[in-house]
Amino acid sequence: MVYLVNRLLLVVLTLFVISIVTFGITNILPGDVAMMIMGTQSNPEALEGLRQSLGLNDPLIVQYGRWIGGLLSGQWGESLLFNEPIAPLISQKMLASGLIVVMTMAIALLLAIPLGVWAARHRDRWQDTTSSTAALLGLSVPDFFIGIMLILLFAAYLGWLPSSGFVDPTEDFFGAVRHAFLPSLALALGLMAHLTRMTRSAMIGILNQEFIRVARAKGLPERTVVWHYALPNAIGPVMTVAGLQIGFLFGSIIVIESLFSYTGMGWLTYQALLNRDIPLIQSTVFVIAAVVMLVNLAVDLLYRVIDPRIRLG
Amino acid sequence: MSEQTGTPPPLLSIENLRVEFDGETGPIVGVKDVSFTVNPGETVCVVGESGSGKSVTSLSLLRLVEFGGGKIVSGRLWFRPGGEEAMDLAQMPAERMIDLRGDRIGMIFQEPMTALNPVFTIRRQLTDGLRRHRKLSATEADARALELLQEVRLPEPEQRLKQYPHELSGGMRQRVVIAMAMACRPQLLIADEPTTALDVTIQAEILGLIKRLKREFGMAVLFITHDMAVVAQLADRVVVMRHGEKVEEGPVERIFTEPQAEYTKTLLASVPKLGEMRGKPGPEPLRIPGQPEPVAPKPPTEAAAARPVLSVKGLTTRFPVKGGILRRVVANVHAVEDVSFELAHGETLALVGESGCGKSTTARSILRLVKPTAGDVVMDGQEVLRLDPGALRRARRNMQMVFQDPFASLNPFMRLRKQVAEPMLNYDLARGSELQDRIAFLFDRVGLPRDFMRRFPHELSGGQRQRVAIARALSVNPKLIIADEAVSALDVSVQAQVLNLLMELQADFGLSYLFISHDMAVVERVSHRVGVMYLGRIVEIGSRADIFENPRHSYTRTLLAGVPIADVTRRTLKESAEFKPLPSPVFPVGQERAAPVYDEVSPGHLVLQDD
Repeated sequence: MVYLVNRLLLVVLTLFVISIVTFGITNILPGDVAMMIMGTQSNPEALEGLRQSLGLNDPLIVQYGRWIGGLLSGQWGESLLFNEPIAPLISQKMLASGLIVVMTMAIALLLAIPLGVWAARHRDRWQDTTSSTAALLGLSVPDFFIGIMLILLFAAYLGWLPSSGFVDPTEDFFGAVRHAFLPSLALALGLMAHLTRMTRSAMIGILNQEFIRVARAKGLPERTVVWHYALPNAIGPVMTVAGLQIGFLFGSIIVIESLFSYTGMGWLTYQALLNRDIPLIQSTVFVIAAVVMLVNLAVDLLYRVIDPRIRLG
Repeated sequence: MSEQTGTPPPLLSIENLRVEFDGETGPIVGVKDVSFTVNPGETVCVVGESGSGKSVTSLSLLRLVEFGGGKIVSGRLWFRPGGEEAMDLAQMPAERMIDLRGDRIGMIFQEPMTALNPVFTIRRQLTDGLRRHRKLSATEADARALELLQEVRLPEPEQRLKQYPHELSGGMRQRVVIAMAMACRPQLLIADEPTTALDVTIQAEILGLIKRLKREFGMAVLFITHDMAVVAQLADRVVVMRHGEKVEEGPVERIFTEPQAEYTKTLLASVPKLGEMRGKPGPEPLRIPGQPEPVAPKPPTEAAAARPVLSVKGLTTRFPVKGGILRRVVANVHAVEDVSFELAHGETLALVGESGCGKSTTARSILRLVKPTAGDVVMDGQEVLRLDPGALRRARRNMQMVFQDPFASLNPFMRLRKQVAEPMLNYDLARGSELQDRIAFLFDRVGLPRDFMRRFPHELSGGQRQRVAIARALSVNPKLIIADEAVSALDVSVQAQVLNLLMELQADFGLSYLFISHDMAVVERVSHRVGVMYLGRIVEIGSRADIFENPRHSYTRTLLAGVPIADVTRRTLKESAEFKPLPSPVFPVGQERAAPVYDEVSPGHLVLQDD
């Protein structure tokens, strides 16, 4: 409990720093909100009037206070680009991208863990080489290229899955999964390499431990020894890496969502940046940072559930 | 396989076992051609040094050797459980082998700290074998698990079932591992160095437990060990192995009283036996057959003894335990508490105790490898704890250290010549041809061939590496050498040679040793004076005779009672040895322990008054 409070305090502290950085950077960028609204060719007096009414002439600290206060009280303001309130916009897009992130991780782990375990059990044999080659291939080919190949194969040639578009999962869950599948697979193949290597090395370490020998000496079948005795001990570092990869994932998502015309968080961030929609940029960056941090917190908490030494220690 | 009429057939007969491992340049032979038998209810000890193939033999019986890349190439492993048809374990299909493991044959291993799965409760680990082999229901298995913990005399067994391995001490874990191996009432228990990683009092408890279980359940025990003292205490019959072959086999009395093989004689001569130094004035080297007569160190002269080379007063070292979000100090580990002693010229003072007693931290504090919290250390007239960095560097020339693990204490990328030269270059003691001569002299002195100078550490054995470490320590002509478990990682025959070397160097150069060790028999052999440490304090200090022949403090007596003696005529092992567990050395911030008060029972023999 003390641990949880400590961790949450740390999250709040980090988010505070992130909010300052986000706010600072968007203020250093040339052009301001008033300019964005009225255009560069507008009347300087009208521009000044708008600035005054938007409070852009107030000291930065006051502006920051207003922004963070709005953020905390749910007043996220309106997007200049979409002329819509930001909060519902972000929550809708976050749901769309959330589906991709979850599916990507699920696919990556479902492929990487068995592959890593397989490689560890047959260390320095052909199975090991095959597994690392497959993993490296996924890592070295850029994900947008994998994405194009997947579109060609599954959408254009086989016609099994849609090549682009987004379906709201609250309306048609199955449709949403179908649309999210190819972008998730493209991202997952890129993430797999690290997770496979991590599973392999963690498993090799664990399989050499004495308790594995003891389990075998007890007469437990090899299947039980590997999957029930060894894997729970090896999964910790794999989860940590997976948690860290969520951060990178939000970077890759920008490219992949554009490729698949999937209107999620990546697409939204891209549009906001392209059009200097400053309120939207500030909110999206802040939300992504918060999500990444909370996911990593969740991973650490999960770690404690699995490993009694940390839970009770 | 002909048996005499009247005697029951052996439970296990190993016939011409040969095991190979895949190597880069062809197969490596782990066991060459080994045959011996184990009778029902008998304890057979397989004894040998590293690389003798004793563990490979034991792993072959359960065919666990296959998981380490080994293969049984030829030979038969006949196993004949009570009245049943003999079966050949070497030829048995893998599926049937799984049914046999943990059911008819149980096995325990060396490392109790890692022998249990950290993510499962004790209950789960005790019951999964039972449920598999005996098809028990969950409640039946739980009841049996509780019974098993009672059999191995684990305190509060109901509580233990719910706990995880990290909540138990090493000795408790080894009891759980034994309970696991005993779960299905095996007819054969294979124990592979089960007490090597344990402190002596815990070792005595575990050996006693194995002895009792063997008697109560009439099972046979195949006990793998490197320790002749354990063999003497436990074995009915002994198999001596070396380089993958059986050297000798026989009843334990005959092996100890009339060893036939040259190797067995060497092995026995190399083991210091507790109590054999009774009445002798000073340290005495071990006489090893085939080795030149060793040189005994001279006792320090009275003039020298009066002038201490090292004087330690009130040395205290504490390590902070940090916690909370601000990483504040929440408690202190009292590693060394108010330790005082003096060490004379040409004298060996041993500090003994169990793990965590603070003996190594004392050594490191004296050299300021860790920062002491308080106290005075006077080395050759200099206040070591008050020296500035430059002066400390110069002072360290006079005090060198030899560490436990010769595999880790030498730089793997550096030739041995360079490693021995480095301290001399460091202090600018010699250059050019003078330096080369001195290196050659040091190699000669520690008994290493000169052509080893061009080698790298990985080309040497453990004992040879330790000789290099000693040469390196000697290179700067120190007055004091701190040997921190310097012979503990070595095989017994090598250990004897290194001990003799240390004593010989002491005789030649008048060195003083601070000898840190957990091994009472070794300490009895090499030291002039002995300090016994417990929970950061010296509880008793005195001459070797004082400590070994007239121990006064209860902990010293406990420690001595736990030591197995390598002598079949003195079987002191008790079936129900119970020792008090070590209390925790962690104390809340600000808590001070009262200064220790010692009774001087005879001149120089100090005994701590208990709180």
